[in-house]
Amino acid sequence: MKQTIEEPLIESSSDSKMDLKLTRNSESFHKPNSSNHNLNSFNPVPQYFPNLTPPDFLSRAQNLQQNLKTKSNNSFEPNLNSGMATQNPPLDWDPHAMLSNLSFLEQKIHEVQSLVQSIIDQQAQFSGRPSELATRQQLATADLTCIIIQLISTAGSLLPSIKNTLLSNNPALRQLVNPDFNNNLKFEGLIRNFPETTKNSEYEDLIRNLDNEADWMKEPNPPPESDVVDTNPIDEHDLKESDDGDAEREHLPPGSYIVLQLEKEEILAPHTHFCVICGKGFKRDANLRMHMRGHGDEYKTPAALAKPSKEPGSDAHPVTRYSCPFVGCKRNKEHKKFQPLKTILCVKNHYKRSHCDKSYTCSRCHAKKFSVIADLKTHEKHCGRDKWQCSCGTTFSRKDKLFGHVALFQGHTPALPMDEVKASGSLQGNDEMTEDLGGYNGNFASEECLTGLDVKGIDEARGYFSPMNFDGFGALDEFGRGGFDLEDNPFAFIPSGFGQRSGDS
Amino acid sequence: MCDITAVLSVDLLAQVLDWLHDSRDLKSCRLVSRAFLQAERMHRRAIRPLRLGPLPVLLRRYVGSLLSLDLSSCPSLDDSALSLSIPCPNNLRSVSLSRATGITWRGLEVLVSVCPKIEAIDISHCVGFGDREAAAVAKACWLKELRIDKCLKVTDVGLAKVAVGCSRLEKLGIKWCFEISDIGIDLLVKKCLELRELDISYLKVGNESLRSIASLPKLEDLALVGCEYIDDEGLYFLSNGNSSLQSIDVSRCLNVTSVGLTTLVEGQQRLRKINAGNCSPVLTSTFVSKLCTLGDTLIILKLDKLQISASALEIVGKNCRNLLEIGLSKCNGVTDEGISWLVEGCTHLSTIDLTCCLLVTDKSLFSIAACCRGVKCLRLESCVLISEKGLDQIATCCTDLKEIDLTDCNVNDNALKCLSRCSELLVLKIGLCSGVSDIGLSFIGSNCSKLLELDLYRCTAITDDGLAAISNGCKRMKKLNLCYCNQISDIGLAHLQLEELSDLELRGMVRITSSGITAMAMGCRGLTQLDLKRCYSVDDAGIWALAQYTENLRQLTISYCTVTGLGLCHILGSLRCLQDVKMVHLSWVSIEGFELALRASCGKLKKVKLLGKLQDVLSTELLQNLQARGCRIRWVNKPLVFKG
Repeated sequence: MKQTIEEPLIESSSDSKMDLKLTRNSESFHKPNSSNHNLNSFNPVPQYFPNLTPPDFLSRAQNLQQNLKTKSNNSFEPNLNSGMATQNPPLDWDPHAMLSNLSFLEQKIHEVQSLVQSIIDQQAQFSGRPSELATRQQLATADLTCIIIQLISTAGSLLPSIKNTLLSNNPALRQLVNPDFNNNLKFEGLIRNFPETTKNSEYEDLIRNLDNEADWMKEPNPPPESDVVDTNPIDEHDLKESDDGDAEREHLPPGSYIVLQLEKEEILAPHTHFCVICGKGFKRDANLRMHMRGHGDEYKTPAALAKPSKEPGSDAHPVTRYSCPFVGCKRNKEHKKFQPLKTILCVKNHYKRSHCDKSYTCSRCHAKKFSVIADLKTHEKHCGRDKWQCSCGTTFSRKDKLFGHVALFQGHTPALPMDEVKASGSLQGNDEMTEDLGGYNGNFASEECLTGLDVKGIDEARGYFSPMNFDGFGALDEFGRGGFDLEDNPFAFIPSGFGQRSGDS
Repeated sequence: MCDITAVLSVDLLAQVLDWLHDSRDLKSCRLVSRAFLQAERMHRRAIRPLRLGPLPVLLRRYVGSLLSLDLSSCPSLDDSALSLSIPCPNNLRSVSLSRATGITWRGLEVLVSVCPKIEAIDISHCVGFGDREAAAVAKACWLKELRIDKCLKVTDVGLAKVAVGCSRLEKLGIKWCFEISDIGIDLLVKKCLELRELDISYLKVGNESLRSIASLPKLEDLALVGCEYIDDEGLYFLSNGNSSLQSIDVSRCLNVTSVGLTTLVEGQQRLRKINAGNCSPVLTSTFVSKLCTLGDTLIILKLDKLQISASALEIVGKNCRNLLEIGLSKCNGVTDEGISWLVEGCTHLSTIDLTCCLLVTDKSLFSIAACCRGVKCLRLESCVLISEKGLDQIATCCTDLKEIDLTDCNVNDNALKCLSRCSELLVLKIGLCSGVSDIGLSFIGSNCSKLLELDLYRCTAITDDGLAAISNGCKRMKKLNLCYCNQISDIGLAHLQLEELSDLELRGMVRITSSGITAMAMGCRGLTQLDLKRCYSVDDAGIWALAQYTENLRQLTISYCTVTGLGLCHILGSLRCLQDVKMVHLSWVSIEGFELALRASCGKLKKVKLLGKLQDVLSTELLQNLQARGCRIRWVNKPLVFKG
């Protein structure tokens, strides 16, 4: 069992640099299992469930409850056949396999029964040797755990037909959440792969996970707000804070972290979760996990299917940072002053902002363009209200914000209102006057000349300023120009075409 | 005729010229020979042209050495004229365009670009100027001094442009730029760390501005006149700032009290000048005692309209011994006793302002005469209790007296006789003293030959003879006020042969006619300001004479005169310097007359005062044209009343 589960997981962790969560999840699942030696003595699961396609979580859950219910009522006398088969006639369901599973369960339950009976019988003898009693109890627990796992697996085959009705109709699931009931059966440690899991809350976590995941499947559209957010590694708020600049502040010594570099296609793919085997992308990790079950039984275990834990063992994973695939970029690992990106999301945002076309245009002003849709949304919130503009192009909704910005940067000044409108006229006016002066060539270094000096593609300029917080995201790109907009700009008198060339080099 | 430069080299001549300050002397020097003209040309550093025409030639002639250019009195100066006149390679450091309302930001941009070394610009009172003009000025990155007083449309954005562009700024005046707020001041302070002088008078800024200003490392001079939103808390911020402050003016800050001033003085121990006039009126004794900790550093103290006791003046007198100037105008509680305590200590006082200190008598003058022998300026307006005895003492002891204001003091000829002993007297104001007659003026005329300014407002006893005595004795007179001296006739006016006279007020002199004006105009060709309001007998002939002889006339008031459209047209068309005309109630001028006259002025005018009824009948095109050229029109709605 250990071998069969472990092998593809190792493979995935070495192959897929992207879906770390999955790797983490399966590894943590693996750990407590291997520590429990008792499990090895039991029959490996695959042997008994060879044809479970497609395995499903909820049917296992249902089976689990029903089984547990009967257990609690009938002192582990299962009567599964009648209940399951009559209630839910599934479509592609192998009744023979199910029968063999159930007979195995029956056998197993009998074993446990006899074990517990023997404990009761020899209670007097055990009083002198508490260690032996403990060993027996451990054995019983292990057996029970095995039963539960197999119950879940068995029930998995039933799920496709019942998933729509299960949670709304089945009162047994609600009973499952009952903490008293929970106290009696201490099997969480095996299912939830926590080293020490005797707390009720964690069991409840599992149940809630089942609950939520079932909910997603009911609705084709985005997951509910409350708990599901946890499965998404970074929500919208995080997105903004963990921007490009974050990794810079860390100052990790080179070599202390692993550098991963995703390909351009991966970065630009609309999905964030990828199957390590077939490469199919998913928007949600839960959907990926569901998908993974199709690739083998090792992905069908509750641990593999469960939501990744919130606090993964940080020691187990080396610090990972990301490199931008754009050669020459400061965020590319080949760069002399390489500054790694902190998360995949940072990579995506950085790559889009810096190396992609800005395809999203503001629907209000039709002027500002963005490559990251979140940036557009942020801009649209303020668009039209930003009447305070800096000479660098950054706009602000409040005068004091603009003046704070101007105070911070050398050479930036507030733009005069209606600058663009009058700008063309101003150049003409200047020309006329120079003619009047008879050969005198004034240095009309007006701002219009400077706007020609676009410095797209220079990452230095952008990277240099990026740690600063701006009022809006759109500021970042306009800001690149700021480095060249200074009063004592050496290119100020050079025709704009030249400036562009020098900018690109 | 041998060349004088063979004997007197140009270098030596230049050194001689260093000692000549009077423009008349320089002019006669220029007229000696070509060599002298050449020397004067090389020596000249500043120029203030009065007319636009000769400007390009003048500037080209002086361009090498010229550092300072004042175009504030040039009429009809516009962008193209400005850009044409300023030669390209020049050493200009300072340019004044004060009241040059015809200039726009384009002109300023050209000015800044052709004067690379420019360090000082004055565009004050160009009321139409705004952020765009400020932005044009801001391109002069070497600027050290800038005045944009009363550029009404300048906002925080314009100030920010200046602050960013001219970071070397040392002196800045933004008085009356009402649109500027705390945010702008804060940015200014962050960007211009070299600021030494700052004038933010009448701005609607609050204590936050003072909190920012307090951080300026080199600030020495701060003017906060009439900042009504500033109170003691702001002064507290200032007191905790850099202790470089030497001069503070918080006059007319109505919310500033003695408490704030006390903390300010506590923190700023280098203060040399304090103006706390017209603040919250109660002066506490703690402030006075704190003031004394400044001790010898304090040289100017103005406490106008505050409540001051004799004991307070005593403490000031005992401690601030180096005080040069004290202002106690309209102070309640100033008595002879207080003054005597004060002057006993402050023996170096040179300016004493006791305007409207109604309790002051001759005793004060006695003590001033006894203690402050070096007093140069004495303002005693409305000190009705003083008499010739006190003034006699002053004249005897204070021989250095240069300026005395005795308006409304009921002085008589004897007092003038005493004062005439002060041969250094430059300014004499005896308005509303109906006791002064020709006899008194003859003393002045015969002894005070240096007199520059004489105010005889409503000295109704004066006749033609008195005026003759003054005109003959005080040949350097620049400013003369004869308003409502209605005994003076054409004969007296004909005596006015004062070449230096620039400012003459003849308001309400009902006896004078055009012949008097003609005679006067021929004698006083340097006139720049003339007030003929309510001179009912002056008609076209007088106006023609003015047009012919007083070429430099800049400001003219001819309301109520019997001028016709023809005369008006002629004077507005021919006077090339004319900028400000007040012509209300010219009943003899038709609408067409006004229309033609204003068209004839060709955009020279910057200010016009007209009867409000004309607003509707004058062509809008004309009015728009005038305003586009930077002319402000004030419409007056006054009934036509004849006063004798």
